[in-house]
Amino acid sequence: MRRRMTGSDYACQYRAVDSPVHRLPAGWKMLISTALSVWILVVREPTPLFLATVSCLLYYFLARLTVRDFWRDTRYFLVQFCILISLFVYREGYPAGVWPGVRTSLQIVLFFIPGIVFLRTTQVSSMMKGLRKVVPYRILFLLFTSLRFVPFFAREMQEISMAQKLRGARLSPTEASRPVFWRDIFSCLVLPLLVRAMKTADEAALSAQARGMGSRSERTYYDVRELEAYLATHQKDGIATADPKNGEGICPARTSSGGETLTK
Amino acid sequence: MLTVTNLSYTYPEEHQPSLKDISFTVAGGECVCFNGHSGCGKTTLLLALKGLLAEENLEGTIKYGGAPMNREEILAAVGLVFQNAESQLLCSTVFDEVAFGPENICIPPAEIYQRIVESLTAVDLLEFGNRNVERFSAGQKQRLCIASVLSMHPRVILLDEPTSQLDGKGKSDLLKTLRLLKSQGISIIIAEHNIEPFTGIIDRYYLMAAGEITSVQDHAPEEYRYGYGTSTPVERRKRPADSSEPLVSADSVFVSYAGSANILNSVSLEIMPGELLHLYGENGCGKSTLLKTMAGAIRPDSGLLTISGRDFPKAGGLLGIVALLFQNPQRQLFEDTVQDEIAFTLKRLELPTEKIERTVEFTLTLCEVIHLKDRLPLTLSFGEQHRVALASVIAPDPKLLLLDEPFAGLDPTQRLRLLKILTRLREESNTAIVIASHDPLPDPCWADRIITMQNGEIVPPEVSPL
Repeated sequence: MRRRMTGSDYACQYRAVDSPVHRLPAGWKMLISTALSVWILVVREPTPLFLATVSCLLYYFLARLTVRDFWRDTRYFLVQFCILISLFVYREGYPAGVWPGVRTSLQIVLFFIPGIVFLRTTQVSSMMKGLRKVVPYRILFLLFTSLRFVPFFAREMQEISMAQKLRGARLSPTEASRPVFWRDIFSCLVLPLLVRAMKTADEAALSAQARGMGSRSERTYYDVRELEAYLATHQKDGIATADPKNGEGICPARTSSGGETLTK
Repeated sequence: MLTVTNLSYTYPEEHQPSLKDISFTVAGGECVCFNGHSGCGKTTLLLALKGLLAEENLEGTIKYGGAPMNREEILAAVGLVFQNAESQLLCSTVFDEVAFGPENICIPPAEIYQRIVESLTAVDLLEFGNRNVERFSAGQKQRLCIASVLSMHPRVILLDEPTSQLDGKGKSDLLKTLRLLKSQGISIIIAEHNIEPFTGIIDRYYLMAAGEITSVQDHAPEEYRYGYGTSTPVERRKRPADSSEPLVSADSVFVSYAGSANILNSVSLEIMPGELLHLYGENGCGKSTLLKTMAGAIRPDSGLLTISGRDFPKAGGLLGIVALLFQNPQRQLFEDTVQDEIAFTLKRLELPTEKIERTVEFTLTLCEVIHLKDRLPLTLSFGEQHRVALASVIAPDPKLLLLDEPFAGLDPTQRLRLLKILTRLREESNTAIVIASHDPLPDPCWADRIITMQNGEIVPPEVSPL
């Protein structure tokens, strides 16, 4: 029953640990990710590809991500691995097609790893702060809130699928491969999932509206590093640990400190 | 003081008003509770107080401290915590979530830091600041929702059915937080079916029906004291038929998920045909996993499991023998009409058309949804959808019916109605029924046996809290 509170059971979700990669500013991480991905795309020979692979893995594990995280993040690439190698072997024969197949599928996996590290190590607020100058805030909000709900819908899909299979729907992988059962996939799985998605989207929109989303043309952005510094300073002074039972901490006099007000 | 005068609201394209002449006052530091059956207008009232309804259809005034508030003022002064914490949390980490509201209303970052610390301290989540909300329990998510509202410095907090997903510990933590807010002068308005956890802090109860306040009282209405004050208990039942062969036999069953310790830890139990069982325990204790294991949806890691004479059955192999009703009926409704929905499994069992028609008719009557048979299931109310979903799983006449948190979202009348239907089902078909819930049953005498679970294990009856 004991579970780590730092991560998530799903791929590409933020992992709350401290690492050199976590501490890097979002812009730098984006730069490193782009450079690594481009490098991976251009290499062809085994030695450079090996070096690129090692670099990617080093970058991944430097972020204190675990082997389990790696498995969650990359397991679906195994499918393309098998398909691509088979296709190359089919086209170029055995063993001539093996190396090109391995190389191409490895490049595809490695291409995405720096991006996965970015998602795993960067809080949404930092991403939004970094990207706000190029992408409108509302679009960023939509994008990152969607990411937040990926695990939610993955869970919903599992539950719906389980509920429907117990009622006799043909949704097992073997059954799903037969076109005669595709109607079940749509009506028993996709339709209830769509209904849940629409309802959840409605509720999330209402929650955002209730907390002032879109009420002003400007918004401010907090900085998680500054907040941690604030916490470190104030915990020393005993403010953050003020005892709420004594009435401290909920509605103190409002400060009038200046700060960064940014246009969306 | 919050003063609401003659508040009325009609939803667009509706003829009947959902709120009619609602008037009440709540002073700073007061906590009031709105009770009423599903659809009586409680949630609409909270949305109106938060300024989330179309202004053109809203009549009456909402004043705070004697002056009417505009939308901008309401935004900061009134905080609304919705029923479903899961869909309300929009950000991945706790800090991001709490900062979201203040950022939207342009609070300077230096003040946001202070508010984050205050709000998280109030709900006792400060140490989780950088954590991913995915791993939070239902209670922690609910408290995080409150923190995300507190960070906007509201003077009034509205809570819509805050306990529907919470177990005993979650409720007691929530109560502690609300007590603290009350002591700090914040007005609290709760809309809730289950008032039992809050009776110590509620100053007044407003009973609502059909959009109107029908009475105001300063003591808890008995009908809404979940599991304590049932005035009309379910009628007495026949005892289950004696049988030497148990329907379910589990011996030292272990179940674990990847990346976690054992969810079920050496669970052993027997369920006899026709037995009514209440599986009780806090969130995360393994109740749902046990139900799914008994339904064949999860295979045990070790141990022996026999269901109706089948060892380690798979989900497909138990079609028509074991049925599982999930908490949210929307997960399993998809057909065009209620009767098609109920006939779905019967068709999959390849029963003759005549038998299917007869069974559908019988099940519709049993679940009291015969009048809805031609309606589209997804357009029904939550309570109706719940009964249709129940009808759809019991239509094949299963020997074992498993229900996972079936009372969430149902009002007291609907809860008792569900128990009555289940009792009739046992009497008609000798179905063994297992209800898993984190609350006592609305009728504490309903079950033949209560099994308490804790940390994936079955607690011996002598130390069970029920």
